[in-house]
Amino acid sequence: MAEANQLFKEFKIQSVSEFFRRNAAMLGYTGKVRSLTTVVHEAVTNSLDACEEAGIPPYIRVELEELGKEHYKVIVEDNGPGIPEKYITHVFGKMLAGTKAHRNIQSRGQQGIGISGAVMFAQITSGKATRVITSTGEEIIEAWVKIDVDKNEGKIVKKEKHLNPKGWRGTRIELEVKNVRYIRSKQGVYWYLKLTAIANPHAQIELIEPDGKLIVFPRSSDDVPKPPIEMKPHPRGVLTDDIYRMAKKTRRNSVKRFLIGEFSRISEKKVDELVKYIAALRLIQTEKDKSVQEQLYERLMKGEVDAVLRSFRGYTKVVKQVAKLMEKPPEKLTWGEAEEIVEAFKYMKFLAPPTHGLRPIGEENIEKGLTGILKPEFVTAVTRPPKVYSGGIPFQVEVGLAYGGEIPNGFEVLRYANRVPLLFDAGSCVTTLAARSIDWKRYRVDDLERTPLILMINVISVHVPYTGTGKQSIASDEDIYNEIRLAIMDVARRLQTYLSGKHRRLSQVKRKKTFQKYVPEIARALSILVGVPEEEAAKYFISFIESRFADIKESTPSEVSENA
Amino acid sequence: MPKRKAIKRERPKEHFSYDPQKVLRKLEEYGKRVLENIAQGKNPYFDIPMRGLSNVYFDEKKRVIRMGDKLSRRYFLNVAHARKFMQTLLIMAYVKRLVSESKHASLREAYYANKHTIPGTKENTFEDQRESDPIIEDLERMLGVLREEMHLTADRRGYIYGDIVIRDGEDEFNTSKLGRGGWAVPGTVEHLQFPKINVDYVLVVETAAMADRLIEEKFAQKENALIVATQGQASRGVRRLIHRLHYEEGLPIIVFTDGDPYGWYIYSTIKQGSINLAYLSDKLATPEAKFVGMTMDDIKRYGLENVTEKLKGIPPNKKGGPTGDYKRIIEEMDYPWFKNKEWQRQFKMALKMGVRIEQQALANKSLEFVAKEYLPEKINRGDLLP
Repeated sequence: MAEANQLFKEFKIQSVSEFFRRNAAMLGYTGKVRSLTTVVHEAVTNSLDACEEAGIPPYIRVELEELGKEHYKVIVEDNGPGIPEKYITHVFGKMLAGTKAHRNIQSRGQQGIGISGAVMFAQITSGKATRVITSTGEEIIEAWVKIDVDKNEGKIVKKEKHLNPKGWRGTRIELEVKNVRYIRSKQGVYWYLKLTAIANPHAQIELIEPDGKLIVFPRSSDDVPKPPIEMKPHPRGVLTDDIYRMAKKTRRNSVKRFLIGEFSRISEKKVDELVKYIAALRLIQTEKDKSVQEQLYERLMKGEVDAVLRSFRGYTKVVKQVAKLMEKPPEKLTWGEAEEIVEAFKYMKFLAPPTHGLRPIGEENIEKGLTGILKPEFVTAVTRPPKVYSGGIPFQVEVGLAYGGEIPNGFEVLRYANRVPLLFDAGSCVTTLAARSIDWKRYRVDDLERTPLILMINVISVHVPYTGTGKQSIASDEDIYNEIRLAIMDVARRLQTYLSGKHRRLSQVKRKKTFQKYVPEIARALSILVGVPEEEAAKYFISFIESRFADIKESTPSEVSENA
Repeated sequence: MPKRKAIKRERPKEHFSYDPQKVLRKLEEYGKRVLENIAQGKNPYFDIPMRGLSNVYFDEKKRVIRMGDKLSRRYFLNVAHARKFMQTLLIMAYVKRLVSESKHASLREAYYANKHTIPGTKENTFEDQRESDPIIEDLERMLGVLREEMHLTADRRGYIYGDIVIRDGEDEFNTSKLGRGGWAVPGTVEHLQFPKINVDYVLVVETAAMADRLIEEKFAQKENALIVATQGQASRGVRRLIHRLHYEEGLPIIVFTDGDPYGWYIYSTIKQGSINLAYLSDKLATPEAKFVGMTMDDIKRYGLENVTEKLKGIPPNKKGGPTGDYKRIIEEMDYPWFKNKEWQRQFKMALKMGVRIEQQALANKSLEFVAKEYLPEKINRGDLLP
C-alpha cells in the first residue's frame, strides 16, 4: 500500500512534458493529421461543454491558418459564457497528471487532460504560448497562456485588457502548432467537425480551411441539451484504485458510511452482506486443496455465502474482524482492503445502476442533425432505453439512419462515443461489427455497398469500454453489441417500410401508365364495335383512370434508383 | 334388289342455323356494355368461361365433354388483365370488320392484322401468335360462337367423297364427281348447305391411304356411304361437318381407325369432343357415332396375328411401366365414355396381347378385302362398338 502511495507521488513529480510525450498515443497526439484533429477536438469540446452548461446555443468557428510547412495556427472561437480572469490558468493550464479524472459522469472528454493537453502540444511543438481572448460580457481579457511544466499548472505569460463596447461574450483561443498536417481525409478536421455537427444539431459550426474556404454546418435544433449529471458509481463498475482514492478524499467517518454514501445500490444490509463475503473470501484463501477451493468459489458465486462460512471452523472470528474494518475511518483503508472489497463486489448481487445521468442526443435531434448536414431523402433514429454492461456500468445506444438524397452511394458508419466522433480503428469497433452483422437484404437493401446509406451510432456511458489506448474504438462487449444490433434493426425496419412505400408509390405510377397506354387502342376498337367516336371513348377511360389514381403524385418516383 | 341394311339415314335433329348477324349483334352488345360501364365510372370487364381441365366435365346425359360454369372476369383496371382486355377488344373489332365484309382470315392473318406497336411505347399489341390465339378461343367461349362463325378459319385437313351435293356460296357440286381426290374440307363449314344427300351413312376414316383404297374399290357407290378422311386427328372443320351431317341431315356416323390408342382417341374426340374445345362440344361432338374397327377381336377373327405390331413403351406390370402406348391405353380406360363393357374389354385385350393393329394390315388378305368383306360385313351386321 505504501508502494502505491509512492507511485502516485512519483507520478506527480515526473516532468509533465515527459509524461505528455510518453503518453502521446493515449492522449491522441500521434500522427500529423490526427494531432491537428485532437487539438481542434479539445477546443471544440470545451466550447460545446461551456455553452451547454450556460444554456447557450453554441456557435463555434474553427479557423486554420497555414503558417509554413506542417505549421498551422488553430483558432477556435465560441459564443460561450466566457472565462472569468482568475479561472483562465485553471482551464488552460491544469494537467491532471498521473491518474485520469475518474468522475462518474458521462463526458465528452476522453483523454482526461482536455484543452490543457492542446496547450501543451502547442507549447512543445512550436514553443509558443496559447493566446486566449475571452469575456464574460464585461471587459475583454487577452492572455497568453503557457504551462509551467515544473509546477504542473498554467501560467499567464502576458495579459492585456480591452474595453468591450459591443458587449461581446465568448472565448477565442489561438494555438500555434507544428508537426501537423491538414487534409480532408476521414481522419481530418473537416470530417471531425462534420460528424460533430451531426451529433450536436443544436450547434452551429463553421470551418475556415487553410485555403480560405468557409464551410458551414448549420444549426438544426434549438434545444440545448442539459449537462449530464454525476452518478454515484455502482459497485460492479469500480476498480480498486477508485475505492482507494475516493476513501482518501471522502468526508465520511467510517468505511461503512463511506460505502453507503458514495456508491449507488449499497445499503446497510448490503454492507453486512459484504462483510460476510469478504470473510468468506479470506477463509477460502486458507484452504489448501485447490479443487475444494474451486468448489467453494463456485458456491459463493451462487450466493451460498452462509453455507460457505459455516464450512470453516471459527468463522465468526473472521467475520468480526472484517466487521471491525467497516468501522474504521475511510482514510485508513489500505490498498489490500480496497482490493478485497472489489473482489467481494464481484460475487455479490446488486440492483442495476441508476441511468438517469445519461444524456442521449435524442431521436428527434439525431434526425435533425442527420437532415441538416447530410440532406438525406429519408431519416430515422432510435434511442434505446439505458442498459447495463459487465454487471454495473450503465450505457445507452442511439442509432440514426439516413438514406438517399445527397448521400453518395455506399454504406458508411459514423461512430460516436458520448457524442464524440470516433475517427480511427473502425475495423475493430463494436459498432462496425454490429452494423456488418445485419442481414441488410431483409430490409430491402439488396446491395449495401451501392446504397446511399449512413448509420450514425452513438454509445453513451460513464465508462465507454475502449479498446487500446487510442480510445477510438469501442470494445466488443456482448451487451453493447446486442443493444447496437437491436437499435440498427429497429431503424432498418423503418427504412424497409419507407422503401416498400416508395416502391408501392412507384409501382402505382407504373400501373397508371400501364392502363393509360392502352386507352387509344381500346378507344379505336370500341369505336369500331359500337360506333362511338374514338375521342369520346378515350375521354371516358382517361377520366376513369384519373379518378382511380387521384391520390398519387407523379413527381415523387423519378429519383428512385432501381436497386433501392 | 335392295340389301337390308342395319345403318340408315335418320330424321334430322338440328337445322341449318348459320347467321352472320348473330355474331355482329353479340359483338356490339359486349362493346356497348363496356362503354356503359366506363361512362358510369365502373371498371369494365368481360366474363370469360374458364379454360382447362378444371372447368371441364363429362355430361352423362348428353354424353359429351362439357365446359363447366366457372368464369374468369377480365377487368380493364387490373395490371394483370389490362393488356388482355385491350387485346380482347382489338380482336372483337377485327372480327366485326371480317364478318361485316364477308371476309375470312386465318389465325396467323388475324395475328398479323392486329399486331402493331402501341404509340409512345416499345410494346406491341400482340407479341406472338400465342397471344392472339387464346384471345380468339376466349371470344368463342365468351360469345358462345364458333371461331368459324367469326370468320376465323381453322387448319384445313381432311377430305370427303360420296354422293352428296354441297352448296358453297355460288358453287354447287357433287363430291363424288370431283375425281378420286374427293373434296377438301375447308376450315369453315358453317355456311355450307347440302341440297342433295344420296348416302345412307358417313364412314369416317383415319388414314388417307385407307380412304383412297375405299374410293378406288368404289366402296362409296356400292355401300351408299360418304367417306370422310380425317388424315389423323380430325380438324375442327371435319368435326363440325360430321356433326352437321349427323344432326342436320340425319346421317349415322361410323368411325374406322387404326386399332391403337391414337386411333381410339380420334374416335373419342369425334364422339365426345376434346378437353381443349370442351366449350364447343355442342357443336363439334357427335356422341351417337359408332366404331367399326380396328378392334382387338378383328385380329383373331380375320387371322391377322402376323400383321400386328408391338405396343410401344413398358407394360404396367414391368418395372418403370406403364409408359408409351400402355400408359395411353390405361388413361383412355378411365374416360367416362369408355366405361362400358365393350370398350373395357378391348382395352384389356390390347394390354394383354401387347399389340396394335393398323387399318392397312387388312391388305394382308387382299387389297379389296376391306371394301368387299370387312367393312360391309361388320356394318351390315351391326357389329359396331358404342
